[in-house]
Amino acid sequence: MADRRYETLVLIHPDQGEPGSKEVAARIRTLMEEQGSTVSQVQEWGLRELQFTIARQRRGFYVLFEYRATPKALLEIERNLKLMDTVLRFVSVRQSEHAPPAAPRAPRRGEHEEEGLEAGPELESVSEGEGS
Amino acid sequence: MPRERPQGGRGAPRRRGMGRRKVCRFCADKTMLIDYKDTRVLGNFLSERGKIIPARITGNCARHQRRLTTAIKQARTMAMLPYAAAYP
Repeated sequence: MADRRYETLVLIHPDQGEPGSKEVAARIRTLMEEQGSTVSQVQEWGLRELQFTIARQRRGFYVLFEYRATPKALLEIERNLKLMDTVLRFVSVRQSEHAPPAAPRAPRRGEHEEEGLEAGPELESVSEGEGS
Repeated sequence: MPRERPQGGRGAPRRRGMGRRKVCRFCADKTMLIDYKDTRVLGNFLSERGKIIPARITGNCARHQRRLTTAIKQARTMAMLPYAAAYP
């Protein structure tokens, strides 16, 4: 079966701590490889704040996996992720074959102050026109 | 003699009704990609309350608005964007 390019972002319970989250990430990686997929990149984003509480937690460790797998293998990977108590959430997305690999990201928050500079004023003026 | 315009001053007279024609920002700037991980970009298309701003307001084309909404929803699943913002 033709394998496809996927990407899965996993949210790990903050009680795991930094070393614990790495361990969970390693476990997920071996899980993926057991399913015959080739992991091309693992990105650890570290402990980040959540926009809302999940399982009464305000923070969580994000880990991004880039890999190739068959659709069947993906189903099996997702089934196993659901069974892991330390995994709060995950999202799998199929990537286009020629899309560039995920760029490394600036760790943690704090860059959010500049947000809206590019778009904020523009949107405002647009909605003004709408009202008249 | 040209038709008299209401004296508003400052620059070109504002078009009535329609306002400025909006252009899809993702079409205008091809380097701007829709990615559920990029909360900076996605955040621009959320209202203060965390709701998705309709394409009617932002001027996004249908194709990009479609991709944008799925990306926002994926980001929400991962708690990177709010479903609803807290009361101010």
